[in-house]
This record gives sequence, C-alpha cells and structure tokens, in this order.
Amino acid sequence: MFSKEILLLFGLFSADPAPKFDEHIIPLLKRHCVKCHGPVTAEARLNLSTPAAMLRGGENGPVLRPHDLDASPLWKRIAANEMPPEDPLSTDEKSLIRAWIEHGAPGLPTAAALAATGDGHWAFQKLMPQNAPEVTQMLLPRSAIDRFIQADLENDGLSLGPTADRQTLIRRLSYDLLGLPPTTTELQDFLNDGSPDAVERLVDRYLASPHYGERIGKVWLDAAGYADSNGYFNADSDRPLAFRYRDYVIRSINADKPFDRFVREQLAGDELIGWTPDMPITDEVIDALIATHFLRNGQDGSGESDGNPDEVRADRYYTIEGTMQITATSLLGLTIQCAKCHEHKFEPIPHREYYQFQAVIAGVFHHENWIKPNERFVLAPLPAERAAWEVRLAAADEQAQQAKQKLEEWLTSHRPRGKIVWSDDFDGPPESLAERWSPKAPDDDASGGEPAVALNSDVAPGARIAQGQLQVLEAGTAGSRWLVTKQKFDWTPDTVGAAIQVTFDLIDRRVDPSGTPAERTAYYIAAHDFDDSGAKPGGNLLIDGNPATSTTVYLDYPGTDQKQLGEIGTTPYAGGRNYGVRITHQQDRKFLLEHLVDGVPEEKTLTFTADQLPDGAFGYEFCCGRSYIVDNVVVETFDQPQEIETLAEFLKNVQPLRNSLSDAAKQIAALKNNPPGKLPWAVDLTPNPPSVQWLNRGDYGSHKEPVGAGPFSALCDDDKAWPDTPAENARTTGRRLAWATWVTQPGSRPASLVARVQANRFWQHHFGFGIVETPDNFGLSGSPPTHPALLDWLSGEFVRTDWSVKSLQRRIVTSQAYLQTSRAFGEQLNTDPDGRRYTRAPVRRLDAEAIRDTLLFHAGILNDQLYGPYIKTDRAGNGEVIVPEKNLDFARRSVYLYQRRTQVVSMLQIFDAPTIVFNSVRRTPTTIPLQSLNLLNSEFVTKRMLEFTQQVFADKRTDDERLQNVFVRLWGRTPTADESSAAQKFLTTQIAERGGSPEATRQAWLDLHQMLFAASAALYLE
Amino acid sequence: MHDSTWKLNRRAFLASHAGGLGALALTSLLHDDKLNAEEARRHAAVTLKPKAKAVICLFQHGGPSQIDLFDEKPLLRKYHGKPYPGGALETHFDKQAGNVLGSPFKFMPYGQSGIEMCEHLPCTGAIADEICLVRSMNTESVDHEQALRAIHGGKLIAGMPTLGSWVTYGLGTENANLPAYVVLGDPGGLPVDGERNWSSGWLPAVYQGVPFRSGPSPVFNLQSPDGVTGKMRRNQLDLLASFNQSFLNRHPEKSDLAARITNFEVAARMQLAVPEALDLTQESEETQKLYGLDRPESEEYGRRCLTARRLVERGVRFVQIFMSGQPWDTHSKNAEQLTKLCQRTDRPSAALVQDLKQRGLLDDTIVMWTGEFGRLPISQGPDGRDHNRRAFSLWLAGGGFRKGYAHGATDDFGYESVKDVVTVHDLHATLLTNLGIDHRRLTYPMDGREASLTDAEVTKCRVVEALLA
Repeated sequence: MFSKEILLLFGLFSADPAPKFDEHIIPLLKRHCVKCHGPVTAEARLNLSTPAAMLRGGENGPVLRPHDLDASPLWKRIAANEMPPEDPLSTDEKSLIRAWIEHGAPGLPTAAALAATGDGHWAFQKLMPQNAPEVTQMLLPRSAIDRFIQADLENDGLSLGPTADRQTLIRRLSYDLLGLPPTTTELQDFLNDGSPDAVERLVDRYLASPHYGERIGKVWLDAAGYADSNGYFNADSDRPLAFRYRDYVIRSINADKPFDRFVREQLAGDELIGWTPDMPITDEVIDALIATHFLRNGQDGSGESDGNPDEVRADRYYTIEGTMQITATSLLGLTIQCAKCHEHKFEPIPHREYYQFQAVIAGVFHHENWIKPNERFVLAPLPAERAAWEVRLAAADEQAQQAKQKLEEWLTSHRPRGKIVWSDDFDGPPESLAERWSPKAPDDDASGGEPAVALNSDVAPGARIAQGQLQVLEAGTAGSRWLVTKQKFDWTPDTVGAAIQVTFDLIDRRVDPSGTPAERTAYYIAAHDFDDSGAKPGGNLLIDGNPATSTTVYLDYPGTDQKQLGEIGTTPYAGGRNYGVRITHQQDRKFLLEHLVDGVPEEKTLTFTADQLPDGAFGYEFCCGRSYIVDNVVVETFDQPQEIETLAEFLKNVQPLRNSLSDAAKQIAALKNNPPGKLPWAVDLTPNPPSVQWLNRGDYGSHKEPVGAGPFSALCDDDKAWPDTPAENARTTGRRLAWATWVTQPGSRPASLVARVQANRFWQHHFGFGIVETPDNFGLSGSPPTHPALLDWLSGEFVRTDWSVKSLQRRIVTSQAYLQTSRAFGEQLNTDPDGRRYTRAPVRRLDAEAIRDTLLFHAGILNDQLYGPYIKTDRAGNGEVIVPEKNLDFARRSVYLYQRRTQVVSMLQIFDAPTIVFNSVRRTPTTIPLQSLNLLNSEFVTKRMLEFTQQVFADKRTDDERLQNVFVRLWGRTPTADESSAAQKFLTTQIAERGGSPEATRQAWLDLHQMLFAASAALYLE
Repeated sequence: MHDSTWKLNRRAFLASHAGGLGALALTSLLHDDKLNAEEARRHAAVTLKPKAKAVICLFQHGGPSQIDLFDEKPLLRKYHGKPYPGGALETHFDKQAGNVLGSPFKFMPYGQSGIEMCEHLPCTGAIADEICLVRSMNTESVDHEQALRAIHGGKLIAGMPTLGSWVTYGLGTENANLPAYVVLGDPGGLPVDGERNWSSGWLPAVYQGVPFRSGPSPVFNLQSPDGVTGKMRRNQLDLLASFNQSFLNRHPEKSDLAARITNFEVAARMQLAVPEALDLTQESEETQKLYGLDRPESEEYGRRCLTARRLVERGVRFVQIFMSGQPWDTHSKNAEQLTKLCQRTDRPSAALVQDLKQRGLLDDTIVMWTGEFGRLPISQGPDGRDHNRRAFSLWLAGGGFRKGYAHGATDDFGYESVKDVVTVHDLHATLLTNLGIDHRRLTYPMDGREASLTDAEVTKCRVVEALLA
C-alpha cells in the first residue's frame, strides 16, 4: 500500500526533476487524451499521439509552448479540469505535465526538425540517403555510426568514450555474436594480437562461426513467435516438426541469407519457387517450404477444439488473428489488433484493412477446409533421403518375409496335434455336407425360429462345398441363421491345463473374386439346440472376427439380448491364414479363451465360467451380406499329460519366431508412419480464395461484407501498385507472394519500414535498447527514434548491402559507440543518465540462454552439436521444469530445448526467457530473489560448478596460479588485488569451516567458484 | 536535482522504511532502468482510497452449479423431467441436452440476513451475514479454458497476465521475504489450464504466482545444497557481497546492481521465512479444528485455507487456492458430486472468513469464492449438468465488500442473469477499486498498446457500487 507520506514524496519529487517524454508524458497522454485527440478522431483537429502533431497543435493553433505554462492551452485546460472532460487528471499526473512544460518540454522536436521529416509519420516514409554529419570533436572516428552519435553529443560538449579494454571487448563480442564466453585461448590470442584490425578480424571469425546462427537466429525466432507446442488449450499439444523451422532460421542466418528473401520465403516460400508436388526436391526447395511454418507459429487450438460450432469457429479465428499479429509486429512494427473491431484509434489502419490483411493469409487458414495444426505438413524428401528410406523399407520387408517363412515352416512341422475329435468333410461329395452339418438355426428365442439356410445351393443364405472347400453364402443383414456341426463338444475340459480348440483356414473373404469382401468372419462355439434338444442357460458364444481390428466376443443365450463380453486377439481376419479359438482349463473351473492365429495364441484373452460354456456345437454365422470360403475345420482336445506338455513346449518355442516377425512388422509400420521428408508448412490449399468477411465489431457471427486481399494504405506508394493476382493454373491464391513482394519491394515505403524495424532489432540486440524504444511499435503511438538519421542511414545501408544481417551487425559492433567503455566519466551521469545518448556502452545482464549455456561451457560438457529435434524437458516432482540429465542431449545449447509454451525451463524463465503468447520482441531483464536462490541452491548450478572444480583440480597448479586461472575462466579477467585477497581469505575460512581435509579444500574451492559465477562480474557484460 | 540523484535519494528514503513499501521497491520488485516507467504507470494507477490490501481467492475449478448451491429455482422442480419451455439453450456438448433437472437439495435462509443457500453449505450459511453473494454473474465462453482465462486474465486468449499478477504489479508486497503472489496448489495435481491460471503473461516474471507445494521444499531451490551450513552460507554471501559491491562501485548508476546485492540477502531470508509461514503446528488445536483439520474430508483443503491466512498475516498480497483438475465439472452425477465437494470445502472456506475476522484481518482482506462459469437448468445424460456462461454465482467477503447481501438475480430457471448483471470485467474493476487501484490506469505496454486487465474501452465494464460496503 502506498502510504500518505510516500505519495507526498512522489508528489514532491515529481515536480522537481524533468519528467521524461517517453516514459511519463506520452503514456499519460495516450491514456487520457488520444482517444479524442488522436490520428483518427482528432477533435478540434488536435492530435496528441505524436510529438510532431503535438507541436503543430490543433485548429486553434499551438497547444503548448515550452517553459511557458501561461502560453500553453494544453496545461490550462488540464489544470482547470476542463480536459479530459469526464475524467480529470490526478494531482500527480497534472504535476508531471506541468513540470514537463516548465522544463522546456524535453523530447518534443523543434520546429526545424519537424520540417525535415515532412508531414507524414517518419516511419512510413521511404528511406532517403543520409549523410553522416561532420563532427569536430571525434576522438576515434571509427564509423559513420559514430558521426551521427557524436553530432548529437557535440551540441552539449560531450563525446563518445574511450575504447574498452580488450578483455572486456572479447567478452562483449563473444556473448553478443555467439551467446557464449570466449575460450581462454581466444582470449589470449586476442590480447596478444597487436594489429590495428584485431577487433575486425575477431568479429569476422565470430560471424563465420556456426554458433552465430544459434544466437542471432534466436533473436528472430523470438520475434516470429516460434514454439514447439500448439498452446491455446490445456493440452498445449506438441508440434513435433516445428524444430525444422527453427533449424531453417539458424541455417539462414548462418548463410547470411538476404533478409528480404528470408521474409518472402517465410510468407510465401511455396509460391516463390512455384512449388508443385512433382518438382525435383533440393535443399532450396525444402527451405522454401519449411519457411512457411512462420505462418503457423501462433497458438492453434483447432486440433483439440471440441465445443459447439461457435466455439470451433472462434478457436479457428484466434489462430488467424494470432498469425496476423505476429506478422505485423515482427515485420512492420505495427499494432493492428485494435482494427479488428473498429478503426484503429492510434494508427492510420482502417477497420476494413484488418480484414484485407486477413484475406492475404486466409487461403492457408481456410474456414471451410480447415487443416488441424499437426496435419499441416508435406512430404518432400531429397532423392537421397527417399532412396535411403526405400532401402530400409525393402530390408524390413525382406526381414518380415524371412521371419514369416521361418515361422510357417516351423508351424507346419511343429504344430502340436491333440486328439482330433472332429474334422470337416469338405473333400467329400456335395451331398455329404448334410450328413454332418445342420442348416437349422437354433431356436433360442421364439417359436419356429429362423428358417434354415439352404444346403448345396447357390441361393443365399446358403452353404455349399466346392473344390473341397466350404463356401458360406450370406445375404441380408439379419443374423440368427447358422450352419453348425451335428456333433456337440465338451467345451469345459476337466483337468487343469487341458484344452479344446477349433481352427479353420480362412481361404478368402470373398467367394466371387470380384465380390465385396466379408465384413465379418463370425462363428460360434458352445452353440447348442441345433436339434431342439432343450435349452440350458449359457452358450452360443459368438466369435466375431473383424478384418480391421481385434475380435469381439458375444454371449447371446438365453434371451434376445446379445451381451458383449470383450475382445480377444490382435490380428485382423484376412484370407490365407488359419484362425480359431482355444479354451483351456486354468484352475478352479475358470476357462481361458484364447484367439489362435496359425495355431498360435495371441495376447488379449477372456476368462469364462463353466456355466457360460455348455456342451454344444461349432458353427458359422450368417450375417451382414458378405460371403467367404473356409476349409480344414478341426476340433482337437488336449487332455492327456503328454498332449498338455507338448502344447506348453510348442508355445515356448514359437515365441521367439513370433517376436522376430512382429519386430519386422513394427519396423515396417514405423517406416511407413515416418516417410522421409516430412516438413511442416503452411500453404493455400486451392487457388480459390475463401470468402473473408469484414466483421462488425470483430464479432464472428456479424458480417459487414466480403473483402479481398489488400495492403495497408498508410504504407502504399503512389508509384507502385499492389501486384496483380496470380497466373492461371496456379496452385495457390498468390496472395501471400503478392503481399510479400509488396512488403520487400526495393525503394518502397513498406520495405523501408521493414528495414527500419529489423535494423532497430539488431541494434537493440547489441545495446539492450533500440534507437526506437518500442520494437513492436513503429506507428504513431510508438516511441520516436532517439537518432532518426542514424536509424535511416543504418536501414539504408542494410538494404544497400543486399539486406545482409552480418554486414549490419559488423557495422554496429565495429563502431566506437559499441566498442567504448561502459564506465561513466565526469558529468556524464548528469547529461546522459540512462546512456541513451551513447556516451558509454551499456552494462547488460546475460540473457537466460547464455547463463545456462555458460554453465555447461564451464563444466566442460557443452555439447555443441547443431540442429535436430528438440531436447525433451520434464516437470520434476517439485514443479521445477528441468532438462533431465539422464537424457544424453541435456548438455545441448538452450536454443534446442523444448519450447513448450506451458513448460518453459524454470531456470530460463527465472532469468526472463519469454513464455511465448504471440511473440517476444524484447526481453526485460529483471532482478529477483528467485534468481539468487537459483544461483545459490539449484542442483543444476551446483553440479556444473562441481564439474568445473574437478577440471580445475585436474591440472597441477599452485593455489595462486589456480586462483588467477579461475577468475580468468569465470570472469574473463584477472582479479584485482582486493578481489584476490578476499577470495584467499574466504578459502582459508571456508576450508576450516568445512573441516580442513583435502575434500574440504575442494569443497571450499567449489564454493568460491559458485560465488564467482553468481557475481555480477560474471552475469553482466561491461 | 538531477534524475540519477533523485533516484538515489528516493532509494535511501525507501530503504529506511524497509518492511513496508521500501522493501518492495528495493528488492523483489526492483528492475533495471525500466523500473521508472513501470513505477510511473503503477503510481498513476494507485490513486483511490484502498479498502483492502490483500486478496485470498478460493478458486472452484469446473463451474459450480449455482442452481444447486446458491440460487434456488422452485420452477426447476416443477418442470423436472419435462422439456425446457424456453427453447434451445446454449450448451457445450451439443447433442446431449436433456429435460429440466430440478435440484434435489433443500434451500434455507441463513443468518440475520436470511440469504438462501443450499442445505450442504451449513458453514457458509453460518457466515451469511459476512458475505456478499452475487447471483447475477456471467462470462463469455462455455469452454473451460477460455472461461478460466476470462475470470483470471480478462481475455479468452491464453497468455494474459492474471488478476494476481496485476494486483502485485500495482501494489507490490509488504514482506520482501515472501513472494507477493502465492499459489497453494492441490497436492492431487494441477488444475485445468495448469500454470496459466497464475501466469504473469507479458508482465515481468516477478509478478507471476509462486506455487508453494507441500513437503520439505515448498519452493524449488529453497534449500541450501547438502552440507552447506548457515556459517558456510554466511561466508559465501559475504564474499559475494564484496565482489558485487566492487562491481557496483564501477557502475554506480546501474540500479539493478544494487538490487542484486540485496537480493542475495533476501534469498537467504526467504529460506527461513517460507517454511515458518507454512508451519501449521504453530496453530492452536482450536484453530485447526475450526478449519476442519480433524476431519478427513476437509483436512487437506483446510490446511491450505489456514496457510492462506498465515501468508496474508505475513504480508503476502495475493493468495490463490486451486483444485486439481476441475472437480465442480458435474457432467454426470451432479448431486452426488456436489455433496462431496461441499463436505470438502464448506467448512474450511467459512473458517477462513471467521478466523480472519476474529484476528481483525478481514477488514482489509478480500476473500473470493468463485468458479469460471455456472451450469444449465437442464440435464446432460440422466443426472448431470452442462456448462452455462450466462449465469453463475460467487461470494466475496471482507475488504470493503457489503455484508449479508445477495446481489442480482437470474431468470426463473437460473439460465441467464437478468437483474443487476455483473460481468467478469465488472468484477475485476470492482476488486481493483477496493484495493485502491484505478482499473483504467493500471496498464502495461503490450504490442504497442497500454494494455490493462479490464480493457474498459472495449469491455465497457464498470465498478459495481452496490457490492461495496
């Protein structure tokens, strides 16, 4: 709670120092004034949303004059509570405005500066050539960047600072370009390099390192909203292929792919290369397809969406809207989401244009033909990949064939025979069928029962013998007609271990080769009553053999209700194999029902009581309009000790043979499930764009009118038209490529904005803040650039050098502004308190990934392998998200860890790694106690420091040498005399405290190392 | 005075008030230069006279059935088993809509105020004169996750900062040795939508809810490594402080370097303060009984309610109690499940209010009992109820809320809130108001906007004055 005296204190002080334009004044005006006095609703033609417009004033002229409250209508209306009319400012807010005007309205441009930028918003103008200004006090004129900065400083008699020392510089460069500390060798070499271009050569080495892409790629991956999960719903389901996009980004950055091309690929790679499924697959084609995954980086719950139709529709819209938001902020630095419901209040983005932009990507997210997130993939294998896969598949096929043959041979010679108590007569003349088979349906239900099936007849339902096989001819869908043996069997053998089984060959699921295969191969055991000899409870066990899945068992006597008992077996019914069931007396009159395929029992079984299995016949069911052919019906019993033993022996020996067959089958299935070249992508499905509705107030059910694709008019060039729609015979709408071309067209306004946003992004990467402080907002409501000419020069050079990110970064990091010391001298703290005028380099904390990767590096276990599927993380019992160390890949760099939205690695999150909602264009480094707890107590940190300690002790050194060495390794520099003696004193005390033994000595050193790593000198870049 | 000096002076002032706001600014909530902008925003928002300084939210995952618990509808019993006469209802599971399902529970008036509630809420009934029951809530989705996000973060989309994050962003903490925003999770597991229920979204991570777990290590990394004694830790911290001080001396303008020094001391103190706050053996047998710790059905929930009181007592700003999964999601066996859930939660929830009151803490602590939506007057299957976004009930107690008051009403079947309707945004606006925060001004920049919890421009929400004492 803010106490009275604290409010007072704030009040007192807020009147005294100059409030800051960006931090205090702009947010305040935005909150209270811009709704009515903004770019859209400029009441009294007054727009308070930009510095320029503010200076111009409204229809009654200027609204404020620096240093002069009385001449500032803005202040007078506010002070009199006339403005804002309904909700006057608080006393504190008023004092901020007053103090700001009294201090000369710092931050407001001069009229001269205003004239130079022209009438329009600065960020929406084309890039114009910028000449680096002449300066007089240049100590070290390293680059044009410095002249822009120095020109601003000179006005106040200031200057860029001296160059930082070499050990500071190499650490700064190594972390900024690779995300890792320099090795001690690199450090020594750099310190010993006396040549004048030592820095430039170091930078070139770093830019050429494959680890450069891992660090700088992450800058774009954050901006693009990359994640390995779908988000949205509780499930936060996996995106198993997203890593390929991550790798594409790292690869592209390492290759210094021109950024405009990089953008076009991500929006429309497929259209760019004219993708067709039959085109030869090359690395370039693959990259162009994977790149489009950019469009599916947003949250997407449509894979889990299961609510009512309105909910499903809303879930899909969210996916599209998220994609739009990511695209607009990452490429254009524009906030468009307000225009979903109405005209944008702060930016010149009409309501309608939001939907025109939606139409650009609507072909990908087609409402009527929706693709769930994990089904958005394409198979595009490289020829070699495909060949390798085919070789593996052929090998697996071969293996399966061999295993099958071996099994069959073995079965033929080893299949145990019990006592055959019944076998069919299908080899006899047709008439013999009636001697041993009854065509009559057992009447378990009604008087009269069903009519009998026809024997030796072509009329279905019927049964006949042909070519020594039985043909079951079914018709209609009604059941309860059977063909059953006239012999009954005892289905409940008395001895424990004894068994009875019935088996038959299923020759074919069709009688007629051109016919439809049988839906079922259904048969009965314990089927009584064929001769109306009286009913007993139980029996009529229907074995319903399914051609697709396992077999279902029903008990259908007595009564009309059929009761499903469960499933047995796993092998579907297909022609060419031997099927059947076996009943074995387990114990206590419990009987096991097993499914037999080729005489071998399968895993899923059921257990019965004797009541359920009365003595009865075996028979086939007539149902479901299909016919099939069977042969070799055999009923056997195993009730002699010898027979039971043979059976057991057989089962033991058949197992390995079955295993090798099922292993081969699994391998085939796995290969077929993972065809080569499975790439994530996001492309239009058809060349016909879906209808995109301009929605009333953003309400999905309320349509204004359909709209087509179109650009943002605020960025349109008079001389460059929106490109035409696609050629004939196109596979896609062509809209994405049209937009991508528009947004990167050399010399155009949108391309100028794209260049500014990216140049600012990389500048921010090296300084911790951008020339524009709001990287996601270059619009009228964003922060104005602190050095507009510098930003435009840098952006112009970026475009001129073929959009090379490496050249851009090289330019930045070889400037004096970057290379100068971070120490503040003299009056600087007063004239440049926050360093935004670049009188010194910023002191920056390492980011989360660098902290984790550095620990692995110091431990000597960093696995620097590039690319590949994400490394799994896990939520430990205490709730901490960790990378399990039993995972061999755990020591990979953090960029490769599972980026699950709801499972951010705790250590990374504590050090400000973002939870990706849309995207992350800037990280705000925090300083919180959880970081201290992590550095002091976490198992990860302690273990890494233990490993570091083991290495340190592996080398023979004196204590003094060791002390110097660990400082150099952990801090990148030798200790001062004070630091050295503090460490020695600590060691003495801590060794004693830990008991004085050699082990205690090591422990104390471990403690020292851990404190060195936890210290600001290790966590910050100076 | 120059800006940097101003900062330093303010810091010195705040430091001398350590334990109050000073501790807040200096330690757990101290950032880099960004702090100033954040403070300015925060300061601009905390302008109202506060009635409460802490919040305990008893969150009832799944959507408790308002028509069986708080909002009696005699017509339901009359139409029981017959088709719902009002036409089609919005359901979540389209194809399972049944006939009207009357509540099998008896309702009765409780307390002086005579608020009617169900027979299975006798303890809540006993505090009827302390609570403000809102019968006219509504929300925007019949989907669990989205409705959870609406009530916690004000938007249907995932990843927004939650109420607790906004409150701690606005008010900080009063005890730097404990997290400002604590989540007491169910030992049975995470609730639906998991950690998003207490996410700080795009607010800085420091405003995220910190889950305390039962067991020896309630917060991870809270225990010193094996073999590190207090004396050894002291040596370590002294060495670290000397290193960090010399680094700070090189960059005196960098405020987070000073915060980092303090934070190591705070971390060490947290290692003691957290276990102390969670130690329920310090509570009398009488208190333990009040919370139902002697009854197996309410023991676990009671422990967490009692812990919540101890945390608020020690200056924690926002405490949230969650349930595993979504137990109130009674798609089947509605009555049977509700009875069990009442046995689990009724006594501890009411005890919390009573206990806070007898300790003089209720006046400035808000207790809120709510789910994410309500349930339908018709059946789903034979004996369940489907989701309803148009009506649900919740209660508030303490912290400036009206006592012994039932607000608003639903239609005759309890399907839709019709009188004095309160939206989740109205609820947020009202809660923030009682905490002294102007909901329209508590903002943080997000994708170029000054985003807020209530987004009043879009949601047109308002403070519900009738709920205030």
